[in-house]
Amino acid sequence: MNKILEEKDFIRRIEEISNQKVSDCYQCGRCTAGCPFAKFMDAPPNQVIRFIQLGLKDDVLAASAPWFCAACLVCQTRCPRGVDIPRLMEAVRMIHLRAKEGLFDVDKIDKEFLLDAPPLALMSAFSKYTY
Amino acid sequence: MELAYYPGCTLYTKAKSFNTSLHKSFEALGVKLNELPHWYCCGTTFGLAHDNRMSLIAPLRILAKAQKEDGRVIVPCSICYNTLKRANYMLKQDTDALEILNEHLEESYDGNEAVVHPLEFFRDNKELIKKHLKKDLKGIKLGCYYGCLLLRPEQEIQFDDPESPTIFEDFVSLIGATPIDFPFKVECCGSYLVVNSPDAAIDASYKVLKNAQANGAEAIITACPLCHYNLDALQKKIKIAHSEFNEIPIFYFSQVLAIALGVKEENLGLEQNKISPVNLLKEYKLL
Ligand code: SF4
Ligand code: SF4
Repeated sequence: MNKILEEKDFIRRIEEISNQKVSDCYQCGRCTAGCPFAKFMDAPPNQVIRFIQLGLKDDVLAASAPWFCAACLVCQTRCPRGVDIPRLMEAVRMIHLRAKEGLFDVDKIDKEFLLDAPPLALMSAFSKYTY
Repeated sequence: MELAYYPGCTLYTKAKSFNTSLHKSFEALGVKLNELPHWYCCGTTFGLAHDNRMSLIAPLRILAKAQKEDGRVIVPCSICYNTLKRANYMLKQDTDALEILNEHLEESYDGNEAVVHPLEFFRDNKELIKKHLKKDLKGIKLGCYYGCLLLRPEQEIQFDDPESPTIFEDFVSLIGATPIDFPFKVECCGSYLVVNSPDAAIDASYKVLKNAQANGAEAIITACPLCHYNLDALQKKIKIAHSEFNEIPIFYFSQVLAIALGVKEENLGLEQNKISPVNLLKEYKLL
């Protein structure tokens, strides 16, 4: 597939999974300003959205943001363009997870934590990090 | 009065204190909570992928069952509340989803079961609570922490204003304690990041706790077992990272309500609180 077609196809896939129109975002940065986990991300939420708009598949798939997004919905509440950013984050996560990358591995979780944690913490991790 | 009740998985295990203190509070108010027969997990966090709606089946099955019992169901856990309400909203908005999902349900369901949070019930029944208050909570300063899922997304949840809610503060005033409003009351505690990225959850919870303390809170109240875990259990790790940090007890709102209603100490579940509130409660002569 030529590059332009491949980029278009990638944007379309993200839009299908998220049911969002990525061109709605006008890059004001308000999502990033309020995101409690932006400081842990290698590229902040608005930049990841820019990568998606430009069809920069490799940059989107390398970004750590989808793994630090807690779906707290602060950005979704504040976005002046009505973009549901956590749905975009979930779409990127889904592309990884459906390709069996980044799947939740219980064996890697601290045993003491496993015994102590409330079931809904683990269930949430299962729902976010499996498909 | 009797009300249908959906506890969710965590109120049966790590948040027994939430379940017991809530039951006992309702009992003191003369309301019987009838647990739904054969309930199961709602699946926790609401699935956001538009092209896969499997995660909606669990919440919709619960609601279809609840509908047979009563037109409304009391749901105390913020995550369950959010997921059940969003599932209802989805059915109402999306006729395709309504049709597809109903093929998977044992009984047909159209999204009409009312999902009610105990705080909404208390807001609408102030006189009932006032009539039953037994202990004077005067002076104790409770930070009102909402977190994310009771508030957002706004148009689907319609619980309170997502940026400056007041339902918790009104509740604290109603039971005679002093509500503490603080800017971080609507910020995330770190949620499920505690599983895979604990540092992010420690950082987020630290900010919430510090901000509540800076505004005068002596304890914090919450409605979510995951917020409760992060704010309470992570304090041990927060202290290692920030030596200046002072511990602060975290209550479920139902625990302080139960105290105000004169519920016996053994039914408050205080032993499940990692940061013990016993000294604070003694200071205010509440134990
Ligand atoms: S707040 Fe909305 S419009 Fe602004 S950068 Fe973020 S997604 Fe784009
Ligand atoms: S939903 Fe995700 S991206 Fe948006 S503010 Fe919360 S953590 Fe950040």
